[in-house]
Amino acid sequence: MDFFLSLVIAGACVGSVYALVAVGLNLTFWTTKTLNFGQGAVMMLCAISTALLTAQGLSNGVAIITGVAIVALVGVIVERIAVRPALKTAGSMGWVIATLGFGILLQGITSKFFGSQAIPFPEVLFTVQDVIDIGGQNISLQYVSIFVVSILIIVVLEALTRYTVLGTAIRGTAQDMELAIVQGLPVNLIVSGSFVLSSIMAGIAGILTAQISGTVDPAFGFELVLMGFVAAVLGGMGSSAGALIGGIIVGIIGKLVGGYISTAAEHGIAFALLIMMLALRPEGFFGRAEVTKA
Amino acid sequence: MNAMRIFLTKLATHPLALLVLFVVVFFGAPYLRGATLQILSFALVSILFTQSINVLTGMAGQISLGHAAFFGIGAYGSAIIAKTFGLNLFLTIPVAAVVSSLIAYLLSYPAGRVKEVYLAMMTLGFGQIFLEVAREWTDLTGGVMGLSGVPSAGLGTLIILGHKFSTIDYFRVLLLITVCSMIFIRNFSQSRLGRSLFVMHYSELAAGSVGIARRQTKQLAYALSGLLAGISGGFYAHLVGYLGPESFAISRSIEVLVVAIVGGLWSSAGQVISAIFFTFLPEQLQLFAEYQFIAYGLILTFTLILFRQGIGGLLFLPPRFIRQAWLTTAVEQQRQATAANSKTNEPQFLKIQSVSADINVQAITMRFGGLVALNSVSLDIQAGHITALVGPNGSGKSTLVNIIAGVFPPTSGQVFLQGIDVTAQADVEMAKKGVVRTFQDPRLVPHFTVRENIMLGAHAMMHYTWLEAGLSMPRVRLQEAQALEQCNEILQLLDIEAVADQAVESLPYGYRRMTELGRALLARPKIILLDEPAAGLSDLEMTRLAEILVKLKHLGITVLLIEHHMDFLNGLVDEVVVLDSGSIIFKGDMLGMRQDPKVIAAYLGDDEVQHA
Repeated sequence: MDFFLSLVIAGACVGSVYALVAVGLNLTFWTTKTLNFGQGAVMMLCAISTALLTAQGLSNGVAIITGVAIVALVGVIVERIAVRPALKTAGSMGWVIATLGFGILLQGITSKFFGSQAIPFPEVLFTVQDVIDIGGQNISLQYVSIFVVSILIIVVLEALTRYTVLGTAIRGTAQDMELAIVQGLPVNLIVSGSFVLSSIMAGIAGILTAQISGTVDPAFGFELVLMGFVAAVLGGMGSSAGALIGGIIVGIIGKLVGGYISTAAEHGIAFALLIMMLALRPEGFFGRAEVTKA
Repeated sequence: MNAMRIFLTKLATHPLALLVLFVVVFFGAPYLRGATLQILSFALVSILFTQSINVLTGMAGQISLGHAAFFGIGAYGSAIIAKTFGLNLFLTIPVAAVVSSLIAYLLSYPAGRVKEVYLAMMTLGFGQIFLEVAREWTDLTGGVMGLSGVPSAGLGTLIILGHKFSTIDYFRVLLLITVCSMIFIRNFSQSRLGRSLFVMHYSELAAGSVGIARRQTKQLAYALSGLLAGISGGFYAHLVGYLGPESFAISRSIEVLVVAIVGGLWSSAGQVISAIFFTFLPEQLQLFAEYQFIAYGLILTFTLILFRQGIGGLLFLPPRFIRQAWLTTAVEQQRQATAANSKTNEPQFLKIQSVSADINVQAITMRFGGLVALNSVSLDIQAGHITALVGPNGSGKSTLVNIIAGVFPPTSGQVFLQGIDVTAQADVEMAKKGVVRTFQDPRLVPHFTVRENIMLGAHAMMHYTWLEAGLSMPRVRLQEAQALEQCNEILQLLDIEAVADQAVESLPYGYRRMTELGRALLARPKIILLDEPAAGLSDLEMTRLAEILVKLKHLGITVLLIEHHMDFLNGLVDEVVVLDSGSIIFKGDMLGMRQDPKVIAAYLGDDEVQHA
């Protein structure tokens, strides 16, 4: 039972990061019905920048802020060069390939200039030794902290989109972009903004995950973004609450499978879940089926 | 520039030139250095693999980010069978390719239900599952340590019927298979099935409207693509002699996409060049190998946006989707018919022999969420009549047409066709029963010519299979020739022979409308449903359209059209039905409609009527 409980708790913590990634994906899905398939590289870039900057002697806080700022900029660039022109000219395949390509480009540049070896990641929040007692379990404070941070960010973001003018504008754009343009909303800015926010979320998710794994390398982030997809699809693309629950479910199932069956199947099961979900209920547990006019 | 394209296209499609090239490479192989031969073999594997993407992504428009999995299934499959049972590759590769094809076929069930983002994610996930299995199923695949000792020509361990296969033998077999596959795919792409993949790419609704079954078409694309990927994987296995799971990771899926996209998504010739280029470059140029990922990233980011047609578009004319020889015959027949000036004839194959069909709609209600689009609508559409459906925007006209055509089932109510209940039957079934429709904005394959688009309508009239198509069996030729003849008659009826072999994307709007009408007609409708056929037409084109509709009526075809243009309807229609807010408010002739107070109110608003 103790083992079971510890798996569940660890799964929920990891799952909260998946949820964070998923919420980031949702943001751009709302505004443009697109996702950045290179989001994994964004996570990697943020985590590696942070690690390299702290290695240069910068304080953790400054390093993290710089790392996040870098990926925020990447968000703008991705939208401008890979998504906007592709949406105009190349149909749906265009942006999938273009964003994927941009991710590979980032990964290629990083491994070219910083090597493809794993870089140790600093202990930003707590150390591996810090533990807290929850229901008789010794839980790593690092795990707890990423859970708290992820949930906090998701809640704040949800509140912002619901209760602020900016949030209303984003939702308006999501509902009907043409109408939003006619109404005089700065749609381009909103779209850009959604990519920036999405990248920031991915960056933070990258830092949080690197915290647990202890190292980062150029290939880092690829599996994480896939897990984010799974979480988003499970909850229903576009739903924040869905992403949160989806993420935690994926995290827990993964850890349980890893603990009781085989650690090798930990990720495989999530992808199997993804395929099954898409086959049976593409709109997810919390999404609504789209009604489109033929 | 264009002269060069014409020359190169002629060269690349000239049988003799290709034969010479083949003979030179086949017999020249022994004179090549071992290393060059090895790289050329890799290039052939890459060409085969790219063909697989060509079918799935280029033709059917289904993106795959996990294609390395099928390649891997072919490779591991053939290697494992060969090692376990000591069988030779002429058995193991086909078996492995069939397994790969089967798995692709199975994947088409979930994948066929999703599109775009979801499909990209699903295939990405599928690729990862395969990779995890290859890494972890150590007993079978050797796990991360890999699978060594695969019979290989390079290592001198490939023995077939007591004869030791040299690298030259291996190269020749591979060359032969690659050429055969390319001919097969070429034939396939110029058949009803190849064309049906393209229409799935651009509009699944259009596919359904002429009786192209969506699910089967996607299954075919996946299975064929899986088969080709499996074959290429199998040859890869016996080329390298060692398989490690990382050879089948996402990077290989990306590599094949790069090769296909740079080559040009439909251009086999372009892809051959691209495959050779990307195989040789990293080997020959150390600098490229170093920056490989950066280069791939740049290529993927910008090619589809800036350089959409790839090498193929640059060097060659766009490929065509009707066999050249048959097309030439058809064009010749058309020219003769024009010379004989037999223009006034109506296409006799369209004539409805028995009593033509009527449609009976009973108490149809359609709700979209909270919106009631149709509220208990009942309507008889008389056989052999031209009936117009008019009404303000949002009155439910298109919804009614969609329900009759089987695009979506009604919330309640029934539809009868010649007295038989056909409620909620899919559009594909309705099309096969003779209910064919056009769309508010033409849904065509933009890079197809007018003729190729119209030929889509003949899909369900032809019955040859994919295998017959690929092998170019006699039945294919017979059926295609007949369809092409009928297509000629339709081109003549619509008066668009002059543009028959131009790509529709280069033509004005009026021609596109006519092309779509032609596609619907070639599907041999008993009832044709036209959604605003006159929208965007010039006065001249409208007059022409009215003449055509009268001819269709003479042939016994029942016509139902949605239209706003009252002058166009005047004197053309037998009956007019007016819808407003989901209910029928008038039924009768044009004159009666113009005087009906309810209709006037619906169109002009109550206030206007009172003040008038």
